[in-house]
Amino acid sequence: MNNTHVVGISDMKLSTNPGDVIVTYSLGSCLGVTVYDPKARIGGMVHCLLPTAAAAKEKARANPFMFVNTGVAMTVRRLVDLGADKNRLVFKAAGGANMRKDRIFDTGVRNFNALMKLLERNGRLLTAKDVGGTIPRTLFLYLDTGRVVVRSLGKESDL
Amino acid sequence: MSRRDEILLACEKVVAMPTCVRKAGALLDGPETDLARLSRIIEHDPGLTANLLKVVNASDLASDRPVLTAREALDVLRSPEVLRFFISTGVAPYYVHVIAGYDQAPSQFLQHSTTVAIASRELAAALKLDAPGHVYTAGLLSGIGKLLLGAYVQVDLRQILHMVFDEGMAFDRAEDRMLGINHAELGGIVLERWGLPDALTRVVCHHLRPDEYEGRDVVLDLVHVGNVLAKMIGVGLGADGLNYEVSPSVVERLGVTSAILDRVSAEVVVELQSLWDLFLECSDDFCNL
Repeated sequence: MNNTHVVGISDMKLSTNPGDVIVTYSLGSCLGVTVYDPKARIGGMVHCLLPTAAAAKEKARANPFMFVNTGVAMTVRRLVDLGADKNRLVFKAAGGANMRKDRIFDTGVRNFNALMKLLERNGRLLTAKDVGGTIPRTLFLYLDTGRVVVRSLGKESDL
Repeated sequence: MSRRDEILLACEKVVAMPTCVRKAGALLDGPETDLARLSRIIEHDPGLTANLLKVVNASDLASDRPVLTAREALDVLRSPEVLRFFISTGVAPYYVHVIAGYDQAPSQFLQHSTTVAIASRELAAALKLDAPGHVYTAGLLSGIGKLLLGAYVQVDLRQILHMVFDEGMAFDRAEDRMLGINHAELGGIVLERWGLPDALTRVVCHHLRPDEYEGRDVVLDLVHVGNVLAKMIGVGLGADGLNYEVSPSVVERLGVTSAILDRVSAEVVVELQSLWDLFLECSDDFCNL
C-alpha cells in the first residue's frame, strides 16, 4: 500500500516503499532536507528547527531531528541502515526563510549554513535548493523517482 | 465610503468570533462535562477566548475589575451550569471556514495563534521577566483580526502580494495601502468595541508595529517577538508568510538574542506536541460547512 508520510517540526520520516510520498508543511525558518538513494529507491526527509544542538543540548539528546547538524546526520545513518549507499545519496533542501529585513536572528540563514557546513565536512554536495526569502514552503519527496517538489503560495516547482 | 469605513461597518455586525464547530459543540456537551476540559478547549482557542471575555466583561459578575484571561473568566463563572448558560448566549455559535485571503485552514489559524501565545509566555520565562498573566491571552488573540479581514484580503490578494514582493512592503502595510486598515488594527478595534480590556486590545492593535504605541508595555513587546518566533517556527503559516518586520528597539529593550530565541523555539515546539489533539479536533474535515 502506498502512503503519505507527514513530517512534523523536529521530525524525520523515511520510507523504502517506492510508492510512498513524504511531505512536510509550513516551513518557515526551519530547513527541510530530503535525502534519497536513486538506485535503492529509498529516502527520507527531516524538518529541522534550529542549526545546531548547541542551542539546547538536552533537547538534542531527546530529539536529534530538531537540529540540522544532528538531524541530517541521523537521517543518513538510518537510511544506510536500511540499505542505502552513502555515496549515492542525493541531498536537496528547502525552507530557511527569514522575517522581512531581519538581520538580528537570521535563523533561516543559520539553518542553511549549518547544512552546508555538514555536507562540506563530509565531502558531499547539495544538488538543489529553494531557500531564503520570506515565503512559507511545503516540501514533497516522491520515493518512486526521488522527485522533490516545493509548493509555495499555490505554485509548485520541481527542485 | 472608503474601504476602511466599509470594513469597520461590516465588522460592527460581528457579534462573535467564529470557531470550530466540533470544539464549540464540546462546550455544550452533557451535564457531565467538567470545567477542566472546557477550560482546556477555550484557553487555547482565540475565537472562544475572545467570545468568553466579551460575555464575562459585559456581565455584572466581573464588575470589580476587567477579566483578562480565559482562566479568570472561568473562575468568575464558577460552575458548569453558569458557564453553559454563558456559552449558549454567544460564546460558540459560529463555524469557521478556511481563513480566506490568508489561505489558512482553521486548524492552521488555531495552531499559529496558540504558538504565538506559548512563545510569548516562554519568552518571558526565558528572560526571567515577571510578566502579567494575560501575556498568553494577548498572544492568543493577537491575530484575530484575520478572521474578520480575510474576506477582504482575498479579493485583493494578488495586489497585496504584488506590493509585498515587488515593492518590498510588509504584509500589514500592504493591507493598509489596499484596504485602509490592517488585521492587527481591525482586531484591536473590534475587541475594544466588545468591551475587552485595554491591556489586551492595545497589544492586539500594535503587536505588528509596537514602535507606534506611545507607551511602554512589556506584554506588547513579548507578543511582538512571540509572533515573530511563531512565524519563524512556521506552525500554521498563511499566505502572508514571514512578511512582517521585527522591531529592533523591542529586541533591544527585552534583551533578546538569537541564542535565547533558539532556546525558546525548542521549548515551544516541545510544548506544542501536547496540544495536537486540540488542533486535530479543528481539522478541515470537521469545519467545512
